[in-house]
Amino acid sequence: MINFSSQKKWIDTMIRQFLLNPVNIALALLLLVLSYLVLWPFFQLVLETLTWGEGDRRLSRDAVPGEFTWFHWLQATASPISEKMLYSPLVNTLITGMISTVLALLAGGTLAWCVVRSNMPGKGWLQPILTLPYIIPSFAIALAWETVFRSPKVGGQPGLYESILGVAPPEWISYGTIPISITLAIHYFPFAYLLVAGALATIDSQMEESALISGAGKLTILRRITFPVVAPAFVAAFILTFGKTIGQFALPFLLGAPVQFHTVATMVYANLALGLDSLAFVLAVILIAISLVSIWLSNRFIKKKSGRFETIGGKGFRSREVNLGSWRWPVFITVALFAFIVGILPLILLAVQSIMLIDGFFGLENLTWHFWVGTSNPDIAFGEPGVLHNNNIIGATWNTLKLASLSAVIASIIGLIIAYIVVRRSDNPLANALDQIAFIPFLFPTIAFGAMYLTLFAEPVGPIPALYGTFTLLVLISVVSRLPYSVKTGVTAVTQIGKELEEAAEVAGASWSMRFRRIVMPLASSGLTSGMMVSFVGVMRELSLIILLITPSTRVLMTAGFGYAEEGLTQLSNALVLIVAILTILGELILWRIGKGRMARLREKLD
Amino acid sequence: MADIIIRNLTKKYGSEKALNNVSLEIKSGEFMVLLGPSGCGKTTLLRCLAGLETPDQGEIIIGDTVVFSSSEKIMSPPGKRNVGMVFQSYALWPHMTVRDNVKFGLDVLNTPKDVSSETLDSVLLSLGMDQLEDRYPSELSGGQQQRVALARLLATKPPVFLMDEPLSNLDARLRMDMRVELKKFQSESEATTVYVTHDQTEAMTMSTRVVVMKNGEIQQVASPGNLYHQPNNTFVADFIGMPRINLVNLNKVDQDSTFFKNTDVQIDVGWIPDSNEIVLGVHPENLVVTKEKAKSSEKYSVTAVLPNGPETIIQLTRGETAVIARVAHDSKYIVGESIYVSYSVDSLNVYDAKNGMIMHPTKK
Repeated sequence: MINFSSQKKWIDTMIRQFLLNPVNIALALLLLVLSYLVLWPFFQLVLETLTWGEGDRRLSRDAVPGEFTWFHWLQATASPISEKMLYSPLVNTLITGMISTVLALLAGGTLAWCVVRSNMPGKGWLQPILTLPYIIPSFAIALAWETVFRSPKVGGQPGLYESILGVAPPEWISYGTIPISITLAIHYFPFAYLLVAGALATIDSQMEESALISGAGKLTILRRITFPVVAPAFVAAFILTFGKTIGQFALPFLLGAPVQFHTVATMVYANLALGLDSLAFVLAVILIAISLVSIWLSNRFIKKKSGRFETIGGKGFRSREVNLGSWRWPVFITVALFAFIVGILPLILLAVQSIMLIDGFFGLENLTWHFWVGTSNPDIAFGEPGVLHNNNIIGATWNTLKLASLSAVIASIIGLIIAYIVVRRSDNPLANALDQIAFIPFLFPTIAFGAMYLTLFAEPVGPIPALYGTFTLLVLISVVSRLPYSVKTGVTAVTQIGKELEEAAEVAGASWSMRFRRIVMPLASSGLTSGMMVSFVGVMRELSLIILLITPSTRVLMTAGFGYAEEGLTQLSNALVLIVAILTILGELILWRIGKGRMARLREKLD
Repeated sequence: MADIIIRNLTKKYGSEKALNNVSLEIKSGEFMVLLGPSGCGKTTLLRCLAGLETPDQGEIIIGDTVVFSSSEKIMSPPGKRNVGMVFQSYALWPHMTVRDNVKFGLDVLNTPKDVSSETLDSVLLSLGMDQLEDRYPSELSGGQQQRVALARLLATKPPVFLMDEPLSNLDARLRMDMRVELKKFQSESEATTVYVTHDQTEAMTMSTRVVVMKNGEIQQVASPGNLYHQPNNTFVADFIGMPRINLVNLNKVDQDSTFFKNTDVQIDVGWIPDSNEIVLGVHPENLVVTKEKAKSSEKYSVTAVLPNGPETIIQLTRGETAVIARVAHDSKYIVGESIYVSYSVDSLNVYDAKNGMIMHPTKK
């Protein structure tokens, strides 16, 4: 006999128990909030491109605000302005993306091999320098390029190249495809380097040694064994790097806009500046589509290949260095020179230029500390005081630190909670969904993500106030954009905490909050702090994510620097970007120290 | 100090029944071992007792309290069940010192500081960990970690100890020492103990009673001696004993005979079981092996000789039938030699071949 009323009661109890469990409440709440902050904005963005806006009345007589229309898509794809608005930026995006990715991979792959597998000297200190270009804002590299190759043809003072050689550099070297591709490559090669180095480190040299015993030469081994094994990582690195380059905004804007060279990302910004919001949103959607396709391709590729190429570690795993012989020192000198040029020289150039009274005039008598410590002087830089006296900049510094630390702390803690739910409730499909949603911001090119929040928070919706122009909005978008990373760090941290450690506390009678506070948090803390530092540095150097959402009162160092660069106040923008670069490097150093401390502690445990 | 009663407990993972209608009564102060191959449900049963798993059906009573009941919708959380648990990995919190690890349970109970520190001192002292109280778990040896896990149990003095393969992470030698220590520890604390293991030596040496499980069902509950000498069914018989028991399939010779045979051997079981096909269970030490032909013995040939300290294991075959015998270490047998084997009637267990269950002589 089935007792229906008792069954119903049973179900009631189950529901009550579900709701009484704080983990379940957190799960439900996070799902709701993240859906609103991640999925809904995307939906809104697409919706916006398909409806008439208030401002469209001046574009078309048919415009009925709020009604459905294909107008913006047609305007972007099949109108007289499509060529300029979409097709040429699209071609530019793809070409610069391709060239820079190929260059980045060539440089990154070669360097990874030299550092991981060869006996090149000086690896220890070359490695951090080689990652510098990726640590500092991409924008800094563009500014450094301009310092050297600025062409007076487009206005302003001459660059270092012209001052030394006496002739202006050809325009194709100053602006457009070539400089954008090269600077993008400089910024992203460390990314490719890290990916390939990771793959190379997993190769068991016994594979190569057995080829050696069969009589194969060094080059044959490289070609037939080493390269095929890292090939999947190489392709994945290619696609991921490409996906990142297309979302870049500030760099192509600085080196392209002066000659009307646009990429899709810069076009989003330009259209918004012109008030063509819907058109900008169409471009943002297209940008997201490209990014989705590239990441989908990379995932497909990794899935297909990785199983087959899984190299098995563990027992008998050895990694032997390849002897470069008489090439050891030439290789070292080449790598060191390269590291200097891409890692250190840009910072020196920025520093030097920030102390030149008249930009582009290279002489000792032209040096001044004015742009750092000077007070307002109407004859210099439209009376803008030096960065250390400039209230705008002091405010921006304060905002930067506030934004970066707040976002880092919030993102890490929420990331840890999400990770906890994802790991401990892996059999719950809702937890899985939460994991997926938290990852989605990774798929959005940052400028497009900014565009989404622009549409979503322009007006109040229900209980949620209009957040446009507030500092809260900046924190919100920074936190959400960091979630894919912080959840990943969190998952690593929580996975390492054995389930039994918590169960032991549970049997002792500790409540969930006590367990989270006294067991999970302390054990995850080292992972958590390094994750926080990564986010701190990441938010600090972020520009394209927030450039659309910044107002004068909420400006941060990066946007202030970008503003000065747009106005042609090179010294001030250099000084600001240099400050950000130094702050990020400091952050990385602290991170490195934390990591080292952790390694030391681990080693202690092993002994 | 507390009885444990388990009634009709069922736990499903998807459609898989990890526990199938399990009922068991454990008396206060007993050392009950749950034994079985991996996947038999022994750990699930233990975790259900702890409250770390929610069963689908049934009832669990610890002491005077119903801690789980599907019909009355009761499911008390682990912390409210008055049990202590030692985990397979010990689950020592790596960020806390030995003392803090032991203290945690007292903190949860809001024990006053002076009482708690007094308890801690005496517990650590009794386990010989007082010198190491400021160490972190990673700085301890396996045996010391084990002791911290036990100290955690003692600190809150729960009436029930649950132990999930606590010795499996130790090396063989240390495991022997800890067995003795653990047994002493349990009898001094007088706590009702439920102990999960897949190691039959552990089960036989430490327990007051053993529960043998298979596929989520209890096969037999018995004292170690009974379990060894009268296994309930062929599964238990096969599982218990090192080297394994001999199981020989035989058929009735004729309705009124006490003799059973197969193509190779013919054995007198001493009574007339009510089945035409039986499985005979006989431990290796109960085979009577002689060099000369004796009464009712048959000729076997030696196929392997495995000396093992005080005893020697020999493998014997007669046609397709192979058996193992345990003989004194000084018996000199060589491979290929012919010897004679007889079966002593009072050491035989007879199982019905149809269901594998033990059969007893019917008293007429």
